[in-house]
Amino acid sequence: MSRHQYSMVLDLNKCLGCQTCTMACKKMWTDGDGMDYMYWNNVETRPGQGYPRKWDEMGGGFDRGQLRPSEIPTKEDYGQTFEYNYEARMYGGAASAQPHQEVRNTPNWDEDVGALMLGENYYFYLPRICNHCTNPACLAACPRSAIYKREEDGIVLIDQERCEGYRHCIQACPYKKIYFNELLGKSQKCIFCYPRLEKGDVNACAKQCPGRIRFVGLLDDPHSTVHKLVKVHKVALGLFPEKGTDPNVFYVPPFNPPRTGNYGKSILEDPRLPLDYLIYLFGEEVVEVIRRLEAELKVAQSGGRSEVLQLLIGRDAGVRYQIAQREDLVQIQPARHA
Amino acid sequence: MKSRRDLLKLAGLAALAQTIPGCKKKEMPALESFTGEFDPLRSYPYRSWEDLYRKQWTWDKVVRSTHSANCTGSCSWKVYVRDGVMVREEQAADYPRINEDLPDYNPRGCQKGACFVEYVYGPQRLKSPLIRTGARGEGKWRKASWDEALTLIANKLLDNIYEYGPDTNTFFSVIPAMSPVSFCAGSRLAHYIGGVFCSFYDWYCDLPPGEPLTWGVQTESCECADWFNSKYIVLWGSNISQTRIPDAHFAYEARYNGAKLVAISPDFNSSCMHADLYLPIQPGTDAALALFAANYIIENKLYDEPYVQEQTDLPLLVERRTGRFLRPPGADDRFLWRDAKTGRVLEAPGTMGSKVQSIGLGGVQPDLHARFTHEGKEVVTVFELLRERLAKYTLEYAASVTGLPANDIRQFAHEMGTRKPAMIIHGAGLNHWFHNDLINRALILLVALTGNVGKNGGGFNHYVGQERIWPEHGFKTLAFPEGPKKQRFQNMTLWSYVHSSNQDRHLYNGKPIEHYIEASVKNGWMPLYPKKRDQKPRALIVWRANYLNQAKGNEHILESLWKDLDLIVDVNYRMDTTALHSDVVLPASSYYEKTDLNSTDCHSYIHPFSKVLDPLYDSKPDWDVFGALAKKISEVAAKRGLKPYLDAQFNWERDFTKTHDLWCAHGKLARDEEAANFILEHSPETKGMQYSQLASGPKRFVATDWEAWNSDIEQGVAYTPFKHQLVKKRPWRTLTGRQQFYIDHPWYLDFDEQLPAYKVPLEEDAKYPFFWNTPHGRWSIHSTWRDARYQLRLQRGVPIVYMHPDDAKEKGIEDNDWVKVFNNQGAFVSKVQILPGEKRKRLTMYHGWERYLGFLQGSWQSPTYIKIKPTQLVGGYGHVNFKLNYWGPTGNNRDLRVDVMKYTPTEADLRAMRWNGERKA
Ligand code: SF4
Ligand code: SF4
Ligand code: SF4
Repeated sequence: MSRHQYSMVLDLNKCLGCQTCTMACKKMWTDGDGMDYMYWNNVETRPGQGYPRKWDEMGGGFDRGQLRPSEIPTKEDYGQTFEYNYEARMYGGAASAQPHQEVRNTPNWDEDVGALMLGENYYFYLPRICNHCTNPACLAACPRSAIYKREEDGIVLIDQERCEGYRHCIQACPYKKIYFNELLGKSQKCIFCYPRLEKGDVNACAKQCPGRIRFVGLLDDPHSTVHKLVKVHKVALGLFPEKGTDPNVFYVPPFNPPRTGNYGKSILEDPRLPLDYLIYLFGEEVVEVIRRLEAELKVAQSGGRSEVLQLLIGRDAGVRYQIAQREDLVQIQPARHA
Repeated sequence: MKSRRDLLKLAGLAALAQTIPGCKKKEMPALESFTGEFDPLRSYPYRSWEDLYRKQWTWDKVVRSTHSANCTGSCSWKVYVRDGVMVREEQAADYPRINEDLPDYNPRGCQKGACFVEYVYGPQRLKSPLIRTGARGEGKWRKASWDEALTLIANKLLDNIYEYGPDTNTFFSVIPAMSPVSFCAGSRLAHYIGGVFCSFYDWYCDLPPGEPLTWGVQTESCECADWFNSKYIVLWGSNISQTRIPDAHFAYEARYNGAKLVAISPDFNSSCMHADLYLPIQPGTDAALALFAANYIIENKLYDEPYVQEQTDLPLLVERRTGRFLRPPGADDRFLWRDAKTGRVLEAPGTMGSKVQSIGLGGVQPDLHARFTHEGKEVVTVFELLRERLAKYTLEYAASVTGLPANDIRQFAHEMGTRKPAMIIHGAGLNHWFHNDLINRALILLVALTGNVGKNGGGFNHYVGQERIWPEHGFKTLAFPEGPKKQRFQNMTLWSYVHSSNQDRHLYNGKPIEHYIEASVKNGWMPLYPKKRDQKPRALIVWRANYLNQAKGNEHILESLWKDLDLIVDVNYRMDTTALHSDVVLPASSYYEKTDLNSTDCHSYIHPFSKVLDPLYDSKPDWDVFGALAKKISEVAAKRGLKPYLDAQFNWERDFTKTHDLWCAHGKLARDEEAANFILEHSPETKGMQYSQLASGPKRFVATDWEAWNSDIEQGVAYTPFKHQLVKKRPWRTLTGRQQFYIDHPWYLDFDEQLPAYKVPLEEDAKYPFFWNTPHGRWSIHSTWRDARYQLRLQRGVPIVYMHPDDAKEKGIEDNDWVKVFNNQGAFVSKVQILPGEKRKRLTMYHGWERYLGFLQGSWQSPTYIKIKPTQLVGGYGHVNFKLNYWGPTGNNRDLRVDVMKYTPTEADLRAMRWNGERKA
């Protein structure tokens, strides 16, 4: 266990699916050689195939303490990275501009598709980064011990000098959040923007999120908003808790409006977004969390004030992010409950 | 020049690679083979490598700028420069907070703004002046010097003036608010050479005509922070998650603060998912829903009586037989009502012709319900006429027309009448219908009946396009220095219709649209240039816009107008569709290489464009482009010894040897920064501000111009319009001095549109069963970013049509198939995506795709044509008169129908897809 743990909470009821986070991370970290296809931050429409395609069905993580078998996603699973013949079309008289290959999959292939239940559409957006797990399967799987968890803040990193490109980590990560750079022969992943955090600035994907859905801080700091949301109000849950890695990225679960004709009824009575699907993603606890959130919303909408919703409004950056000074990382007294 | 990629390579990672290219995968050793001497879960001994990423987060300089794409965002960004190259951008996120309760505006920006740098260095970037060598649109050019290109243009413009008249030179540029200095660069030139300046806001159908009709304004909306003050937010035809990316949070946060959120949209879009109530309405029936709600509110006495008495025309008297307002004898612009206390018929104060310039009631209680005989005439209030009209909009009727469940819409109507403050957020989803004016008026009626207009958290707030410029006075004076009376202004919808082979075959009250156009022009209601009706426009200069790509009736325009023009000039930083189809292309600086200003109706701040780097390649900022053109015109005029031209329309002796001198105000406005300062200095909103101070961060406007605005800027309060009317009792800018729901212009009476009504979408040929829907989406701002690779890789790489799974099944179409979409106007071929949230019998493609990208035939505008609604050609009625971008026919396009079929690419298509054999990595 690291001494402290950085954590991110994402409120899915505020997410726009705008992919500014994706672009922010891409332009910040993955714009170099061999990285075209990788999106350390991606946003996928759920239900849907995800990125890489069907990652949630590939296994990985732990099964009773043992690494669970899995596979390495194929290039096609991640989606194509095409180029265009703009010079030829614009300055060379070519008939039309086209991607250099027919496009059959991209990281956002089924954007806004979701699913139908009794003729009604439902979906939501799920932004994903590395979970900087407390019990990282990638770390356990690396035969060179080139993956480590920073003791001061819990960020999980792949040593880019010592990595030999064996890709056991890619197999082991149940979230498929490690990518292989073929040109460099290295595995690469989200670094939780440690260079920014170290200078007191927040992660690019959080800082640039116009939906303001992201909260960042130390999970063990009782004054942090992430701590309050996860540990005190208990409205945020990790993804696939049963995969055994103990993720440190948490989600305020989504609820779509009630089904047509049911206005006024609780979304738990006849939900548009089937609870089974949410249970699949976030575990059984999600039903309780939604019940709690719905009750809070009712309080607010009947003229009352909900403490947790006021927190989720996140009026400014000061509410959403608590970035530790480096010396604080040692001094913060971890919270007792939890 | 170094590329971005080179830099990133230098930045570190590539240095670690041993062999590039090629795959460097190692064999996997068995897991058990490793036993380490440390536990990486606890501590790690080799951490010095971490500097690798730390170095990537270092820069040489960071400069503030923004984007000018008409997104309405107006977001301040920081551009990061390393080794003389712009590498990335990040929101400046430093808008000052309005007050402690309101969430702040940070970080304003979207994914497109986060990768604009791609255009600065990409293959689309225009690097030098180009003169066409092939056919228009073919993409064959030769490079030219500025001198050669400008000489060609100057000669041609002057030839046109002397041979055919100055009104054959046409200028088109959009949305001053997004970069007014660049806008004024060209508008000033148009002004001084007598050119025709065309409108855009009505042409793009973003103007809500119901606002000029009801309120006498162009568009007035609250700034988006005010959404947070609401307790009932109705997203009506507005998908804020996609089209208001920087602002959507205010609505979702308002919900946590006690607002209920309603989303009304045929498809289950990205905003509906966050609503409390989602109403999947049948396309085009929104007015029926609104009028049912109005009926419910009136019949259940949920309307705000004192508000309606004072702030609306509902108490005014109408003569039943003629349908005309009851006016004092001989008066056009004065109106009567009956005082409920005394029963006396009195003149209403504050009307256009009234001596009393206040709408305060002064103790009178205008009777809303009066029906009586006055001097032998049967008279009745507008309110009672409205009630009669609304009687048919019952719950059952509304449910059957809109396809919505009675339970949901009854509760909606009730909450609309009881939750306060309530606001409607309105967008292009509704505004692009043929009957947009009726829809606007029906929705405005709802928020007016309930007393929500003019209050924080309430109102009808329309956001489509960045049309409203805050520092208006300074801008107008810079743009058209001799005043609007000395400028040829033209409604673009009318111009494009008349000068192309577009043909609307509908009959309106039995007459073709041409009948109404001729009457309107003859009455002097709408201008039409060139004035000589047998004269065609000859030159078109486009900047800050993509006219051809975005034009309704694309196929018609290409085959007629485009052939008739003998000079098309495009000033642009990128090769868009209009540039590609031009004769001369002039390379402008990108958003990150110019000095300009930026503002929007979505917030109340001003912030700058700056030269992050000096103009790249052989490009120039728009200000310098038009300065150079003005100079060239003067040079050529002198060289050719041209005598001054007497412009008879204005009795203006135009000496073109002086054009440049006038254009730059005798040297006072030679530089773009001087132009920016001119705007700031001449506007009350920006009093005391200098361009150079804006680099430190966005500044809130300090005041509003009484002429231009309807509320003050108040410290600590989000801006919302019409407080002048509500609080200061200032008359509304309408004929009746009130929110005017009754328009007694004869054409309105002829079409039974004197009051709001629901009219079915314009019927199209029954052969084409699908509505053709082209909304704004998240991946582009109009055509900007449509061809940006970073964006395309997160879509499907090519244009896609969305289709409901059941419709697809019926047509034998599968996901990612090629399809042909067609009607009797035109056709295009693109890929299809099956979308369960799409409405049945509707096809959708997000608008703005460039004609040259991805289509195998045509483009998204190919099935469209221009339709003009007769009542929007009206003028000469109190507040309803032609004014550029305020009043004029809108270029609607939602009523259109198409059909679709699976398409098998031909050999030729496949060749085109193979890049004509020039495949490059
Ligand atoms: S934390 Fe930083 S590295 Fe990780 S996904 Fe977000 S932007 Fe990318
Ligand atoms: S930037 Fe924020 S709102 Fe947009 S997709 Fe990412 S997480 Fe969602
Ligand atoms: S494109 Fe518009 S909305 Fe996006 S960041 Fe730029 S200014 Fe803001």
